[in-house]
Amino acid sequence: MNFEAVIGIEIHVEMKTKSKMFSSSPNYFGASPNTLVSPLDMAFPGTMPTVNKQAVINAIRVSNLLNMEIDHTLYFDRKNYFYSDLPKGYQITQNDRPIGKNGYVIIDSLDGKKKIEIERLHMEEDTCKQLHLSTYTLLDYNRAGTPLIEIVSRPDIKNGYEAMKYVDKIREIVVFSNVSDGKMEEGSLRCDVNISLRPVGESKFGTKVEIKNLNSVSNVQKAIDFEIRRQSGILLSGGIISQETRRFDETKKETVLMRKKTDSVDYKYFREPNIAPIYLSDEFVQKAIDTCLPSLDQKRDYYLSLGLNIDEANQVLLSFEMSNYFDKLIEGKKYVKTLWNLLMGEVLSYLNKNEIEINDFIVTPSNLVTLASLIDSGEISFNQGKKILQEMVKNDDDPKKIQEVLGLKQNSNLGDIESFCKEAIKNNPQSISDYKNGKDRAFSFLVGQVMKLSKGKVNPQLVSKVMKELIDKE
Amino acid sequence: MKEVTLELLKQCANNLLFDMDQEQYQTLLEEFATLFKQMELIGKIEDIDSVTPLTFPYPCQSYLREDIEGETLTLEETLKNAKEVEDNQIKLPKVVL
Repeated sequence: MNFEAVIGIEIHVEMKTKSKMFSSSPNYFGASPNTLVSPLDMAFPGTMPTVNKQAVINAIRVSNLLNMEIDHTLYFDRKNYFYSDLPKGYQITQNDRPIGKNGYVIIDSLDGKKKIEIERLHMEEDTCKQLHLSTYTLLDYNRAGTPLIEIVSRPDIKNGYEAMKYVDKIREIVVFSNVSDGKMEEGSLRCDVNISLRPVGESKFGTKVEIKNLNSVSNVQKAIDFEIRRQSGILLSGGIISQETRRFDETKKETVLMRKKTDSVDYKYFREPNIAPIYLSDEFVQKAIDTCLPSLDQKRDYYLSLGLNIDEANQVLLSFEMSNYFDKLIEGKKYVKTLWNLLMGEVLSYLNKNEIEINDFIVTPSNLVTLASLIDSGEISFNQGKKILQEMVKNDDDPKKIQEVLGLKQNSNLGDIESFCKEAIKNNPQSISDYKNGKDRAFSFLVGQVMKLSKGKVNPQLVSKVMKELIDKE
Repeated sequence: MKEVTLELLKQCANNLLFDMDQEQYQTLLEEFATLFKQMELIGKIEDIDSVTPLTFPYPCQSYLREDIEGETLTLEETLKNAKEVEDNQIKLPKVVL
């Protein structure tokens, strides 16, 4: 018997706003425990929630990018449960009226483009962070109240690959709209997967298993593929799937049981009485959409229009921050290829070696553009440019001044180049013969000899040109 | 609808870590009886499917707060009510939901 998987995914995205969803406590990752906490986050009596404007703008932007209907009236609800991660005894969320509904994204599935429908997108607050140790639990309330959006797909996903592509697409959207840093390893994008199997052609859903705490896009795929195999095995041997919550064990590469599910919890939702409805004007919603940053696809198209190839464009787009730096470099639409080579070559290697992020890179885009202009004008060679960059990373000095101090100037004098070439030809008759017999490497060798004779100071492009002319004349 | 009995009220009070005297339980039972009668009356009203539920007693609205960082509690204030603290975090018996 053949089975098909029915998969739905819930994604929680932490927004990178300055303050929390309903209080003005600072909102960032990595602070000392319990230092980003306001009276409201601790549910002290007399405190009242206020809705963060930027979080609403962010939710509108993502809803728009997910092709959703946007609700222009905001309502919030209380989800009541008693647990130590929630000091108020309830979470403020949007149960009845999510800000976004009925959307979709297009993903690249194994069978081509596929539309994955999205049921809803709503705003809510995160809980506090619990650290479960062997015999006790520690609570850090810094995360309590962090603005979240939850995105719930319809069960359109059929396998691990599609799930991986879907999560990656959502991550790309929230990162490039500057809504979240989308770091699954830090928990700023978390996803729970619901998966059931049914015989092909059957309309009734099978018993649903939930997989929680998936901390990377590749683990989403691995966990689902394993779970499909596990459930198929049980069903084929006549067993019954039990309703349960599982987690993915990275070492064993399999899902393991967390708990059996009983009846669904009744959260006794009701309207949050401390937040009256908020009416969003058409102008407000449109402005939120219009001021959204370009999507990854739009950026890629732009890079291609400036002469990068698809691989080069994708390489810059692997990091939102890197692509933003690159955008500043190419504001003038000049020296694009050289700037790409400098950024993805020397700069990236410097960042990796020193374990720093591009946001902390000392060299200003304008100085890097000046360096690229020196290279592209033939004033200096690319290798000389690399030497100048090695000095620029120390104090972000003007590359022209460094060039002067180091005495780096490329010799483009045709007379000088011709005499170097003639000397190389005279000293290497065998290479000339090899080249004439079709060995292209011999030509590179000859150019290298000229660079050596000139101590690397002549323009290599001109050397190639002159060398070719001289050999052709022989 | 669940029947509200004296036993149920006592169980609820116990869950909430308080108790009442007999007279107070009797008052509460009478109040529930009145409340249920009122609900029954409301339930008899017809053609209300298209009526939007009233969640606020009169027309009102909230406003959005600018995303600006405000003041926080000091660490001491945050941890003041905690029985036990370890590494500046509140320590609890382990309960994994």
